Amino acid sequence: MLQFPAWKICLILGIMLWGTMMALPNVVNMSGAPAGVPKQGVNLGLDLQGGVYLMMEINPDEVVANRLEVFAIDVRNALGNKDGKPLIGHLSTVEGRTLNIELTRPDADGKFPMDEALTRIRKLNSSVEGAIGGAKTYEVEPAGPALIKVTVPATAEEALMKDALAKTMTIVRRRVDPEGVSEISITPQGNSRIILEAPGEPDATRLKNLLSRDGKMTFNLVESSPSAIAAAEKGVVKPGYRLLSGPQTGQLLVRNIPEVTGADIATASQGYDDGNRPQINFRLNGNGAAKFYQTTRNNSGKLFAIVLDDTIMSAPRINEPIPGGSVRITGDFTLEEAQDLAAIIEAGEMPAKVQFLDQRTVSATLGQDSIRAGIRASLIGLALVAIFMILAYGLMGIFAVGSLAANIILIVGALSGLGATLTLPGIAGIILTIGMAVDANVLVFERIREEQRAGRSPLTAVQAGYERALSTILDANITTFIAAAILYLLGSGPVKGFAVTLAIGIVTSVFTAFVLTRWFTVMWLKGFKPKKFAL
Amino acid sequence: MLLRYWPESTNIKFMSLRMGGALLSVIMITASIFFLASRGLNLGVDFAGGTVMELQQTETVTVESVRAAMPFNAEVNTAVGTDARPIVVVKFGAADPAQLGDEFANLAPAAQAERAQQVTNDIVARTLKDKLGLTDSDFLRDDSVGPKVSGELFRSGIMALVVALGLMLAYIWFRFEWQFSVGAVAALAHDVIITLGVFSLLQLEFNLTTIAALLTIIGYSMNDTVVVFDRVREERRKYKKMPDRQVIDQSLNSTLSRTLLTSGTTLLALFAIFFLGGPVLRGMSFALIWGIFIGTYSSIFIASAIVLSLGMDLNKKPAEEVTGFQGIR
Repeated sequence: MLQFPAWKICLILGIMLWGTMMALPNVVNMSGAPAGVPKQGVNLGLDLQGGVYLMMEINPDEVVANRLEVFAIDVRNALGNKDGKPLIGHLSTVEGRTLNIELTRPDADGKFPMDEALTRIRKLNSSVEGAIGGAKTYEVEPAGPALIKVTVPATAEEALMKDALAKTMTIVRRRVDPEGVSEISITPQGNSRIILEAPGEPDATRLKNLLSRDGKMTFNLVESSPSAIAAAEKGVVKPGYRLLSGPQTGQLLVRNIPEVTGADIATASQGYDDGNRPQINFRLNGNGAAKFYQTTRNNSGKLFAIVLDDTIMSAPRINEPIPGGSVRITGDFTLEEAQDLAAIIEAGEMPAKVQFLDQRTVSATLGQDSIRAGIRASLIGLALVAIFMILAYGLMGIFAVGSLAANIILIVGALSGLGATLTLPGIAGIILTIGMAVDANVLVFERIREEQRAGRSPLTAVQAGYERALSTILDANITTFIAAAILYLLGSGPVKGFAVTLAIGIVTSVFTAFVLTRWFTVMWLKGFKPKKFAL
Repeated sequence: MLLRYWPESTNIKFMSLRMGGALLSVIMITASIFFLASRGLNLGVDFAGGTVMELQQTETVTVESVRAAMPFNAEVNTAVGTDARPIVVVKFGAADPAQLGDEFANLAPAAQAERAQQVTNDIVARTLKDKLGLTDSDFLRDDSVGPKVSGELFRSGIMALVVALGLMLAYIWFRFEWQFSVGAVAALAHDVIITLGVFSLLQLEFNLTTIAALLTIIGYSMNDTVVVFDRVREERRKYKKMPDRQVIDQSLNSTLSRTLLTSGTTLLALFAIFFLGGPVLRGMSFALIWGIFIGTYSSIFIASAIVLSLGMDLNKKPAEEVTGFQGIR
């Protein structure tokens, strides 16, 4: 207990040096320091630096339904007149988690070509990636003489959700941070949630508007025959079509199945029209440009609607075939709107609509005030504890205060070194540690007092005091550590920050109180050889 | 000259006071359960869901002007902000679906339930910005928690408490004996229930940081209990003929000085947070201050008293040194 060989002293000094190096950037600007020296201070939580925290969720029902909508387009292609095989007339509708494919054209003998349709649809069915036993993405089953039902089984749904979450995260990133420069962090939680943390002073409402749109972009042909419009106005909408509206176009009868989709958009950006008003430019990829050209060639004179999330953005008339795949949307946009829409279109469609579960915004000023209050409380707490300890234990109290100061350096150093995040409750954790760190010292000092009263010499009293107190100190700190660990595992946000500082504080305070103070004491005892130990 | 604020050796007969302590604890627990059942807890947005907005109070932003500008029912009050200037606090739940616009009205009921809070929040933020000429930076805080997350946070908070109690029970069992483990966990449960009772009585806001505070109280109270138990075990082995009651009293007296010193320093630090740490930390530091008192009390009158009533086996076994941590030296 009283032996400090050279290696132990080196270890103590090494730990202290590491802590000091790590803690230094928090007080001194280290930007000019040589390479290898840490330059980053503690990460501040959003409650201390200000910012927006958003928790979003994607709904499995919607992911499945959207996937089936996409499958419906493949089905249309497969059942079409292809490779010399005849067309199979059908009507697709997605209802909840089921895609209903109703065959509409019976053969000459009055029967529907069920077998042929099933064969062609099943050919589209792919295996679930990574699944054992070749599980399929879709379950394709006949459900009547002319009805085929397509559903997504559970294993496929799991893979689908995983995929959807990853895609959504990419899209969220591209929408909120198109340039890829901001410090916004986007992390998954569980299998359906995403947490976005944007530090600083971002506009929470704008962020939510950017993210709450599906970003489902389609190019649909418009039916403008007077009879169909008249029927639709009476409530009889032509099958395969639906009524959509837009601020510029009013209500139009739009074909359900799009000719070109957002998946074929290569880039989108905000630009200006001839009148210098903001507009959105975008360019289709090769596949999209070819489809676009084909559609414009075959449908001269018709209106071609550009639809974003079921709202018609614009519906120009097709005058001539358009090659090249460059498209623009003009309209009554503000600059910000045009920028956001371009980001949404370029990022692509969300696999499912995100829904916001939890939003927390703290302004940067409030964050700074909190830091200031936290630091003031820490310093005053520290001063009070120091005075108290010195009054109670004299010289030993000074040793204890010395290791308390070392303790705080180590906590700050460990927080910086581990890349942990400091939150406001985290500051409270540090202050609490200041109070509790003294406990280990007090346990030892009280023990030494008792041993001295029992008539032992200073050296043996110190020896016995540390030996006897060790198991108590460990028992007491391990139980507190258990509480901190559970807080970390089950807590969230600011509470996690509290758990981290508490846990680090427990480890460092045992080290400083048990090792550092003991070393100080032993050096003093050996240097001055006091006859009586004032404690 | 060193400050002697406590006599070197005391001889308080704690265990003869234990019936009085038990009576006091039973009264406090009964009262706590009564308050919890009748008044409940004042759940913050973390657990109840809803929105809290904080605005800096200015000439144009006052309780009256905000109340007049609010499109929905809301609780509007003033409070003191972190920098000691007055702020306006606006609290509201989800508005009626019919008030939230056509787009919202067309959503399925399930989607409505989850989205209502966020949509309400957005409408309120927009309206306040328009009517009072505010920008984003004028909103000091805007927390909006939907029903799904608030429910989960509550469950995981309770779960954290239960798991913590369970693990500590196991740890004490492993290090001591089952009697000690029962005593320690009874003391912890006692502390948690009475602290909840105080939160209910004073209707203090109960939120995520309060759960953190409760777990810290558990940790602290346990810490205190373990120190006493360690000493009891040691004295029990040393004085084999001494009755349990005397062993426990002697252990409590010899650790008393330490207990008071540690509580004292921790309280000093906590009072610093309470008075200077700003309103966000006030609830948490209050819970901790209360916890120090109740934790110290329960180690003596609950944990030790239960060990006394259950009896110890330590003296019946051959004396063995605790070897668990010796290797660390």
